[in-house]
Amino acid sequence: MSEETQMDTLAYSSRMLYWAPLGKLLFCVLVLIANLVTESILVPFITLAIGLSMMAYSTNFKIPFFIAIALLEALAILIIGAGLISISGESGNVLWESHFLWINIYMTDDSFNKAWLVLFRGVAGMAVMMGFATSTPIPHLSQALRQVHLPVEIVELIVLIYRYGFLLLERMEIMYHAAACRMGFNGFLRSIKTTASIGVGIFISSTNMADKAQTALSCRNYKGYFPLYRAPAKTGLKWILFSALVCAAMIIFGLETEGIVNMYELFKGVLF
Amino acid sequence: MKTVIIGANGAGKSTMFYHFNGILKPKEGTVYYDGKPLEYTRDALSDLRNKVSIVVQNPDEQIFSSTVEEDVAFGPLNMSIERDEVERRIVTSLEKVGMLEYRERPTVKLSYGQRKRVALAGALACEPEVLILDEPTAGLDPQMSQEVMELVNELCLAGTTVIISTHDVDLAYTWAEEIHVLRKGKLIYSGSPEPFFANTEEVALSGLVKPHTFSINSTFESLRGRDEAPYPRTNSQLLAKLSTPDAKIGVIRMIPFDKEISEIPQVCGNIGIYGSRTRRAVRESKTRVDYYFNAIEGCCLDAMSGLDSVLVYDIELESLVRDTISVLGKFGKVPEMI
Amino acid sequence: MDGLIETKDLVYFYDGTKTPSLDSINIKITPGKKTVILGANGAGKSTLFYHFNAIAKPHSGVVLFEGEPLKYRKKALLGLRSKVAVVLQNPDDQVFESTVEDDIAYGPTNLDLPQDEVKRRVEDALFQTGLTEFRKKNTLQLSYGQRKRLALAGDLSMKPEVLIMDEPTAGLDPQMALDLMELAEQLHFNGVNIVLSTHDVDLAYAWADEIHVLRKGKLIYSGPSEGFYSDPVQVHMTGVMPPSMFTVNKNLAHMKEIPEAPYPRTETQLISKMVEVKKGSLHIIPLSEDIVSKVTDSTDISVGVFGTASRGLLVENRMKVDYLFNGFESCISDCMNGRESILVCDTDCVDLIKNKIVELKRFGTDIEYDVRS
Repeated sequence: MSEETQMDTLAYSSRMLYWAPLGKLLFCVLVLIANLVTESILVPFITLAIGLSMMAYSTNFKIPFFIAIALLEALAILIIGAGLISISGESGNVLWESHFLWINIYMTDDSFNKAWLVLFRGVAGMAVMMGFATSTPIPHLSQALRQVHLPVEIVELIVLIYRYGFLLLERMEIMYHAAACRMGFNGFLRSIKTTASIGVGIFISSTNMADKAQTALSCRNYKGYFPLYRAPAKTGLKWILFSALVCAAMIIFGLETEGIVNMYELFKGVLF
Repeated sequence: MKTVIIGANGAGKSTMFYHFNGILKPKEGTVYYDGKPLEYTRDALSDLRNKVSIVVQNPDEQIFSSTVEEDVAFGPLNMSIERDEVERRIVTSLEKVGMLEYRERPTVKLSYGQRKRVALAGALACEPEVLILDEPTAGLDPQMSQEVMELVNELCLAGTTVIISTHDVDLAYTWAEEIHVLRKGKLIYSGSPEPFFANTEEVALSGLVKPHTFSINSTFESLRGRDEAPYPRTNSQLLAKLSTPDAKIGVIRMIPFDKEISEIPQVCGNIGIYGSRTRRAVRESKTRVDYYFNAIEGCCLDAMSGLDSVLVYDIELESLVRDTISVLGKFGKVPEMI
Repeated sequence: MDGLIETKDLVYFYDGTKTPSLDSINIKITPGKKTVILGANGAGKSTLFYHFNAIAKPHSGVVLFEGEPLKYRKKALLGLRSKVAVVLQNPDDQVFESTVEDDIAYGPTNLDLPQDEVKRRVEDALFQTGLTEFRKKNTLQLSYGQRKRLALAGDLSMKPEVLIMDEPTAGLDPQMALDLMELAEQLHFNGVNIVLSTHDVDLAYAWADEIHVLRKGKLIYSGPSEGFYSDPVQVHMTGVMPPSMFTVNKNLAHMKEIPEAPYPRTETQLISKMVEVKKGSLHIIPLSEDIVSKVTDSTDISVGVFGTASRGLLVENRMKVDYLFNGFESCISDCMNGRESILVCDTDCVDLIKNKIVELKRFGTDIEYDVRS
């Protein structure tokens, strides 16, 4: 099973499955905004706490292994990114400098602080997004998007891609096995060629599938949109108020605490 | 009339039935529904497709929604039916295919057989007058095929016209009252199955073979020097024909099932069940049953071998069950039904 | 005796699931026996055969090929996968090249075999599957039945010792299905071990010397078909039905008060067992260059075909053939009705046909035959 299917399974068994998807989305977006608005390094910790508790509650306090792996992967990328930011300082006191080929590298106290902030924000943001993803399957998301009057075409495209994505993934796995049975991955060049052939095969079968689906849709009297039988829970006023409140509280907290913690000062004795 | 359209791959079966609901428009000639020529306007077509439903072979081509109930509701919602009525249709059609407990499941998580049943439920929810099934049993395991065919028989009894399109000669032969044979885009035969299958050359040219029961019967009878007719279509009918006049025939104890499962007499002999309601009741009560599927045939076979058996069936299927057993009279003795 | 393929306590889980897809499987595929792996949809058939050629790796337990535990290193895998080949249910999943020839060459080329060896193997595989005349064709232009043969040819070109066929007749119309099974029989007779994986009980019953039944990831039966089908409870729980031939024989035997054994697998065997047959005779004519004149000499006798090459040649020469498919059964049926019949067969099939006639003796019919070469 691919990660996509696992995520889907997780979302469908979430304890937050029937919460208003739009409400969840609004909440997460506002938290993410609050996460970015102020320069306080303490705000990302609140965001992280919110994200982790969402994830924990949604998955019944059992965070699956593959999500932990995904988070670690993201963390690794963020650390590299933060490292790069920290050595591309333009202002402030130079802490360390070096030359690499023709590039001059500076680490300043500003860039050092900025790198930490980006790292914390990134990790916290990931956690919140994961919290949303583990509780909201794509179909629910598309329903939410429909409620905010996103063009029908786009929403339906999302639904269909989701639906046929799984089928194509299934086929791709079978074809991959079949190619392995015939030694299609024996050597680098051959692997590339085989992967291309599988791609072509999947492309052909997806056009076939689209063709047949069109016929089948007409057979079932498709009138240009997917009617909904069970609309998701409506996003009530309490969702909006609650989200706005949390967001405002975080921003105020952020403004109040801006500059309270300086990472450079913290590490001064240890590193420099 | 139970109708089968039969032909090899590429003979034009699907092209033909896509003309029946106006998906394809003939280049020449006319298609009639209920005596009236089809009109190809938007409204007329929509109306027609509510009456003529097609279930294609591969369920993945026709399941669009992400959960089971959404998919079943798709057709009725397109017909702008009221919510209460849609709910009723979801429940009845899912119940018929035995998938009610899956109504909120995501469709991608279902097995092939389950998806096939959801596709069927989606068509049933439109309550069509004509139901066209393309290879209804392809890819299903044997028990599930039997279950689908029993469901189809219930629908026929309730007045739906069912057309099956297939290349499975055994399925066609046991089920059809009338067959239409297609070969390379031409209709070469319409009528009862026997005369067609008796013609070795035509069968071979059509890319088909003779059904097993049919060819066993003809060889047996030619060796015994008897007439091939009447043609048995099931093993029990074949046996009835081959049995001697003085052979002992078993008794079938008939128990109609209405609301509750009454005490099934634990007599010796096999117990068979028929009908979707009975099957569900038996599954819940965990009663011992020998023939879960194809039970009428099982009990008839027992009777032909001189054994007694018990048959529990949905009460509304009484006439269907009795008729099926009585057909044996054409071939030999009818087991006593008590 | 060592099994060709064996597994010991094989356990396999799909990622993220808690119930095993395969649960302590101890299976032994006997060499030279026609084997079927039987089970309902989702019983674990494909997961199991993907273990046979190391596409899937067991979480515990071992898989043995010819007595040796499988090694999952790259080199070892190449050797193994050319010996254990898989024909999937849907041929479109395993066609990777755009022309017939190229696709058949795909496997051997990937094995880095010398050019002329690849060429020789492609020729052989084309001939065996009767695709020679389509060699330059685009794979998309082939019919479904032909694509199925192409998938088979693509595996044969690797000269496998074991060929696993997943639902071989699914989606094929009746003649194509008979054709493919005849080809499988021919290959099996010529030394390729064929393992069918199917839920089609009638197909399994007609084919198998030995069946292995899977239910919800567990192996619940290994042995001859009859042993399994005689247990209605097991059959029911497995999600299948007893094969039609088995049921008819059981009930007819009961009615006639004769023993159920020997168990007929084909129509001619059933008829031999149940009624007195007449004496006819069968003329077996192995394929040769002057086949046309040999067959046209005798006009009023029915003619049947067995074997891919013979079928191709007779069709090409526009010969009148009565039984182009299912030739053996049909010709025997004529003989049992007291008539004469000609069976044209591939040269490597003569002994196979003799074996089949000997098999019929067990059911009481002694067909007179001669071989006209």
